[in-house]
This record gives sequence, structure tokens and C-alpha cells, in this order.
Amino acid sequence: MEPIIETFESRKKHMCIKGSGISIPECNTPVLPGTVTQRTCVFGGARIVLMPITDSIHLVHGPIGCAACTWDIRGSKSSRGDLYRKGCSTDLTEKDIIFGGEKKLFDTVIELNKLYKPGAIFVYATCVAGVIGDDIKSVCKHAEELTGCRVIPVQSEGFQHYNKTKGHWIGCDALMDYVIGTAEPKTQTPYDINIVGEFNVAGDVWGVKPLLEKMGVNIISTISGDSEVEEIAMSHRAKLNIVQCQKSSNYLADKMEKKYGIPSIKVNFFGIDNTLTSLMLIAEFFNDPEMTERTKKIIENGIEGVDEKIKEYKERLSGKTVALYVGGNKAWSLIRAFEELGMEVIMTGTKNGMKEDYERIKETVKEGTLIVDDANSTELARLLKKYRPNLLISGAKEKYISMKLGVPFCDFNHDRISAFAGFNGFVDFAKAVDAAVSSPVWDLTSTRLKSTKWSKFTKMRRN
Amino acid sequence: MSGINVIKRERNVIINPLKTCQPLGAMFAVMGVHHGFPLVHGSQGCSTFVRYNFARHFREPAEIAVSSLHEDAAVFGGRKNISSGIKNLAVRFKPDLIGAITTCSSEIIGDDVFGFVDTTKKELKTMSEDNKGLDKIEVIPIATPSFVGNHFTGYDVGVKALVDNLAEPGEPTEKVNIIPGIVNPGDIREIKHILELMGIEGTMLTDTSDPFDSPLRPSVTPTRPYFPKGGTTVDEIRDSANSQGTIAMCKYAGSAATSLEKQHNVPAIIETPPIGLQNTDQFLRNLKKLTDCNIPDSILDERGMLVDLIADNASRYLFDKKVAIFGDPDITTGLARFVGEIGMEPTMVCTGANSNSFPEDMEKISKETGTDIDVLFEQDMRSFEVYIKENPVDLMIGTSDGRLLSLDQGIPLIRAGFPVYDRIGYHRHPIVGYNGAMRLMELITNAVLERYYDPTHWKLQQ
Repeated sequence: MEPIIETFESRKKHMCIKGSGISIPECNTPVLPGTVTQRTCVFGGARIVLMPITDSIHLVHGPIGCAACTWDIRGSKSSRGDLYRKGCSTDLTEKDIIFGGEKKLFDTVIELNKLYKPGAIFVYATCVAGVIGDDIKSVCKHAEELTGCRVIPVQSEGFQHYNKTKGHWIGCDALMDYVIGTAEPKTQTPYDINIVGEFNVAGDVWGVKPLLEKMGVNIISTISGDSEVEEIAMSHRAKLNIVQCQKSSNYLADKMEKKYGIPSIKVNFFGIDNTLTSLMLIAEFFNDPEMTERTKKIIENGIEGVDEKIKEYKERLSGKTVALYVGGNKAWSLIRAFEELGMEVIMTGTKNGMKEDYERIKETVKEGTLIVDDANSTELARLLKKYRPNLLISGAKEKYISMKLGVPFCDFNHDRISAFAGFNGFVDFAKAVDAAVSSPVWDLTSTRLKSTKWSKFTKMRRN
Repeated sequence: MSGINVIKRERNVIINPLKTCQPLGAMFAVMGVHHGFPLVHGSQGCSTFVRYNFARHFREPAEIAVSSLHEDAAVFGGRKNISSGIKNLAVRFKPDLIGAITTCSSEIIGDDVFGFVDTTKKELKTMSEDNKGLDKIEVIPIATPSFVGNHFTGYDVGVKALVDNLAEPGEPTEKVNIIPGIVNPGDIREIKHILELMGIEGTMLTDTSDPFDSPLRPSVTPTRPYFPKGGTTVDEIRDSANSQGTIAMCKYAGSAATSLEKQHNVPAIIETPPIGLQNTDQFLRNLKKLTDCNIPDSILDERGMLVDLIADNASRYLFDKKVAIFGDPDITTGLARFVGEIGMEPTMVCTGANSNSFPEDMEKISKETGTDIDVLFEQDMRSFEVYIKENPVDLMIGTSDGRLLSLDQGIPLIRAGFPVYDRIGYHRHPIVGYNGAMRLMELITNAVLERYYDPTHWKLQQ
């Protein structure tokens, strides 16, 4: 069989086509050294899960680069404070490497507590902290005793693993071990829930929360978008966890189920169909006829006019193809939403996928869809050139690779400005996708000075 | 009597950093080599986050490979990773040069990257029997532990490593080497423009202008994005030993110039970047000194246009306005002198680095301009913020990291330096040379004018 694209022998099995023999790519293996991987490190993974906690200080214990390159890049919005957007570092230097950085870390935590009186101080261990053997746990404990502020160690040394999913788990473990279950809610209702794995990028949670509240559920906490640490501390009293980013947070939901007996439902608020299914699943869980009635009403109101609002976009987008290459969850959660716009997902893949993620993807996609694991930048460029999708959904590093090849790109990560979740979010999503795909600039990128094609530049894509 | 007041950080913690670590600078230096490829020997995050930052600033893909160190390497060493990394990179891309850049983890575990590179080079030689050309690839080890120095010193180490490994004595040439510093494509292009007007052939050590601002052309896309066009060729770097001289337009990252002088008798001139009138004048004088070339009328015209622009506007709109400047040590030094010479007061200059002679340079500018300057040395954005709230200024010049403070305090921010991610065009336009000074002059004056004609800010008109 002809290989999907030309690549290293060891990488061939990381790409497959659904319906043609092996339909799950090889995955969760170390990155081939010397490639331009799109993956990040364990520290990055942990930071993604915890960084949106708004009233907390996120202190990186390591040399300056780990903090300097990652502060305020998450795109998570807050309806309250902005403490979480500060980039804090112990700035370990040569002396600390030789004599150890524990004293410096301790002093730093004390300073931060004095300056900000934060809800919590999360202390992230980086590669250096790990190699020099700083005992961040005991420093955190000592500092917590002295300050009364929650000081939470996050054992996230970057090189621990090739898959940042491990970082997600470490972030979740920090919450499990040090936060969840350490405070009690003042009141409890039979309808208490947590939204888990929703990071409020571009304000997504604000498209979801009102719907849930109208249903009559009581949201104890969001883990971790637009949250405060004290709310997460009470989250063990919930009757249900709804999990949005299943890639990063199923792990936490499972742990909470084991420890506190909280069941969980996998939800997805990207796309109309996904949104209404998720709402109905929650209503079914509570099995309250009034809530079910209310939910039906909310759905009715929610979808009203949506068809009309997206009509124009859908006309232009119908039949267009999409490639997804993302961190995890979005590799499957967005597929249905694109289908609702009349688009066809021809390729989907993730940088850090595990076997169960690809099972999930395989269930969701059509026959003939290309499934890709951990494509490095060369492979990604080759795939884009060969399959020429009308749109790539990916992150900031892939953005300009795509643009340079004249493949339209839509931000779905850090740099996203509009919220895409829920009913209103879907309309904004359609609008953003249309802006990327239907823009006349993509006609320009394929024109040549000597050809006459440019004279036909009449917004053909639009008509 | 004017003077400076050096304010150091009085706490351990860094809040909102104004510097980053050494490998970033080294990666930047290697990106400026034609068909050069940085290979970071460290965790995946070490390349990913830097790639993100470059992409955000330059709006271009940034191809940086990584050896992907994992836990077993901490125990058994990272030889396998760096060695197979170099080989995979060599086979896949056939680059002209690989910069093997160390990080904190690879340094602490004691990896002998220099030795590993030597061994791998021999292996590449054997491999080249089947795969032609592999033995021609230059592999340069660059030691940039992240717990020493900052991104600026990393750039310095990177350029020096390239020169030390490659520069080869031969026939003397009429060329001049330029070490640009961590600047934008627009700046490098402006320097090339000056050299062209002077009739001087220059060698950029290294040239990031085209790699970080590459055209989108359908006819060339097949090679994209593996190698962008441009960059300084390996041969040009080799030939740098034979030039008439080297000008480092970065005072705090010019050790490659010193090295060329020591080893190959290439005269070195290490100066503040040519930002503003006097600094550019000095740059031209230095060029003349090295090459004995005449300064043509066309350059005098550009200078004249700048002076004209300053004369037209500076006294009316800018005189006595207080400015706070933050960013890398070189750029801030250049900017401080420029705002002083157009009649503004650089009342505060803040840098995250610990470049030794920075306070002395500020002292000089303070005397020149007659302004008392508060020098925030080895500081962060939090210190900058606290200071500004207590000592308001009329304008701020610095990176995008000041954007929220600018909104909060209602003080216009003129963007300059790295990173600038919330505006476009800033990497394409120069701030160096007479043209760069004109651009700065326009940005600064327009920021003032925007309020000047706004009736609610009538006070500025007094």
C-alpha cells in the first residue's frame, strides 16, 4: 500500500485511514528526537489544567524561561480577579543549582503571600527542581503552616514523560490531594454539580453556565475556568460531575467518583446537537420531570433562530473540508459541530493521544478519514499539501505553517477571541469558521503575477 | 546636576518577567543561518514554548527541533537523544548547519554535548557513504544552561559559538561583519540598506531578517516551511575571519566580535545599537573608520529628513514629556538616548537583565540629557508597574507586556523590542538607522497627537 505521506519508517504506523485495516494509529510513544514536535512538556500539561484558577498565584520553581515563556498565554477569561495572569518565577540561578533552591522557594512563597494574599499558591516543579532534588512538598507544607495560605506543590518536572497528558494528571492530582474536600459548602441542594475540564478559553463557560442554571442545577465549581480555589475545595459535595475536556479531566472525574462516589457524565457544548444532547443527559441524570420540562424549553429557545443565523455561513461552507490537529479533546468533540455546518472532517489527529482517545475518534469519524498521531511540523506540512483541506483547526505553532501553505486556519486555542460553546457560541463558531474559509485572501495566495487568474477574483468562494 | 538612581529588586520572586532564558537567544542566533536548524537538547517544552513565542511575535512558523529528553536520560544521560536527534535531523532536512543547544536539564545531568557532537559527526561521516552530503553538515555545540544569564547572553553565546567553530582565515576581504543583536527583520534590512548606500558588503552574524519575515509565494512554497529563504550562509560565517572589521550593534552581546579580533585580528567595534540620530551617526562613523568608505549624499539626505522631522515636531509636541522605557538592555539604552535627543525626558529605564555596564551607560545618558534617570536594574514588570503608579509618565516605550498597564493607567505605550504580539507590523519596520528613527519619531509623536487633538485632553495643548 502506498504510504499516506513520505516519512520515517518508525512514524508510518502513526497515521492511518479509518476503514482500511488498522484504524487506530500507533500512539503514546516517545517523540523521535530531532524532529520539530508539536508536543510540549509535562509542566505545560499541568499548567494548562490549573492556570485558569483566577484567585491563585502560579509560581514556577525553576530557571526563568519556564515562567517567562508561559505566563498569560492561556486565553482563559475571568469574571473576577486577574491574579492568575501573573507570571511568577523563583528564577533559579547557578548558585541555587549548587546549593539547592529550597530556601529561595520558601522566601518567594512568603513574599508572594504578603504581596497578594492569594486564594492559593501553586508551586510547579520544573526539570531543574527535579534534577537538583528540591523537596517542594516539604517547602510548601512549611510555608502553608507559616502563612495560612494554601501552598500546593505540583510535581510537574517537564521531562517526566513525552506525553503532556501526564501533566494533566499531575495537575488533577494536585487538586485531588490538596484542594478538593478541604472546605464545606454553606448550603447543599440535590442538584449540585461541578463542571470539570472547562477552562473558559475566550469565555466558553459563560455560554454554558446560564443554560445549566436555567435548568435548575446548582454549580458548585468549575474546574478550573473562571474559578476560585475555595469553590473547588467544596466540589466533593456535588451530586454529579459533567466533564467537558475529557482528555485532561476524565482522570479527575474518575478519581472523584472513586473517593467521593460522584458519578460523571461526558458532555460537549460545541455544536447544537452536542449541546442539546449534553443538556438532556444532565436532565435525565437528575430524573426530575420539572427539570426535564425546563430543559426542553431551554433547548427550544436555544435553537430558535440558530438555523436562520447560520444559514448564510452554511451555504458557503457546505462541502468544504476540515483538518483537525489539536491537543486532545477537540480531535473528536468538534467533528459533529463541523458536520452541522455542512463541512466534512477529512483528517483528525492529536499530539498527545492515548489509545482510548483514538478509539473515541474512530467512533466519531466517517470511513476514509485520516487519523494522525503526533505529527511533527514536516509531516503536518506534507499532509496539508497532499490533502489540501479548506480549513485547519490547530494551535498557534501550527497556524503559520498552515498560512504559509495557503491553507485557511481558525484559532481554537490560546489566541481565540470569541467563545464557541453553547447555542450562541455555535453561531460565533460558524461565523469564525466562515471568516477563515470564505475570505477572498485564499484566492490571492494561489495567484501568480503572470497568470490571469487574478482577474477572475470575484469572491468565487462566496458564491 | 543630573544623575541616576539604581533601583534593584528587593525580593526574590520575579513577577511578570522581563527576560527569559539563554536557549531562546541561541535558537534565535541559529535561525539566522541559511539552512540552519536549532536542535534543543532538553525537554519538549524548551522548544515548544520558544516556538510559540517566536510565532506570536514574528507571525511566521519557527522550526526548532528538540532531542526530547525524558526521565531515563536524567539517569543514563542524554547521549542517545542528542545523537539520534542530530542524525534524524540530518537525514530528514539535510541542513547546512545544526546548532546543538543545551538547556538546564542537559547541563545539570552533565551531558558532554561537545563530546557527543564530535562522536555523532563521525557517525554522520560513515552514514554519508549511503546518504551523500551528511558529512558536509556543520554541527555546532552551544552551551546555554538556562540558570546562567538570560536570553541576551544566550544570543551572545550562540553567535560566538558559530564564529569560533566556523571562522577560517583566508584571503582578506572588503567585507564588514555586523552582529545585529536580538532585533527585528526590519532592523536588519535597514542596516543592509545603509551598507548598500555606502557600497559596503556586509556579513550579518546572523541574519534573521528573511527567515522571520518570509514572503508567501506559490512558486516557492514546495520548499516551505522546511527552510525559509535567506539567512547567513555557512561560507559567509567562515569568511568572517577575513573581514575588515566587526561591528556589534549590541553592546551586551558582542563577544563574537572580540573573539574574531583576538583570533583573527579582525578589528572589533562594540556599541549601543544605532537607535536615534547620534547612535546612527556613530554607527556610520564606525563603518567609515573600518572601511574608509565615504558617506554618500543619499545617506546625508536620509539624515536630513530625520532632522527635518524632528525639527518640525519635537519642540512643539514632545519637549519635556516624561518617558519610561523597558525591555532588553541594548534596545533600552538606544531608546533612552534617542528620546533624550528629541527633547523628552527618559525618567525611568527598566531592564530585566544584569548587564554590567548598563548603569554606567545610563549615567552617560543622564548627563547628556540633563535628566535624572531612575534605573530599574535586574527588575521585572511588577516593579515597573509599581514605579509607574507612583511616578506617572507621559509615555511608555517597551514590549507588549506593558499593554494592560498602559490601558489601566491611561499612558500610551509605544511598542518596541521583543515580544510585540498585540500589534502587527512592528517586526517589519526598523527602529535602527535614520529611517528607524523616523519611524520611532512618528510613533511617539502620533501617540501624543492622538490626545493633543482630543478636546477631553485639552491640558496637553497647554
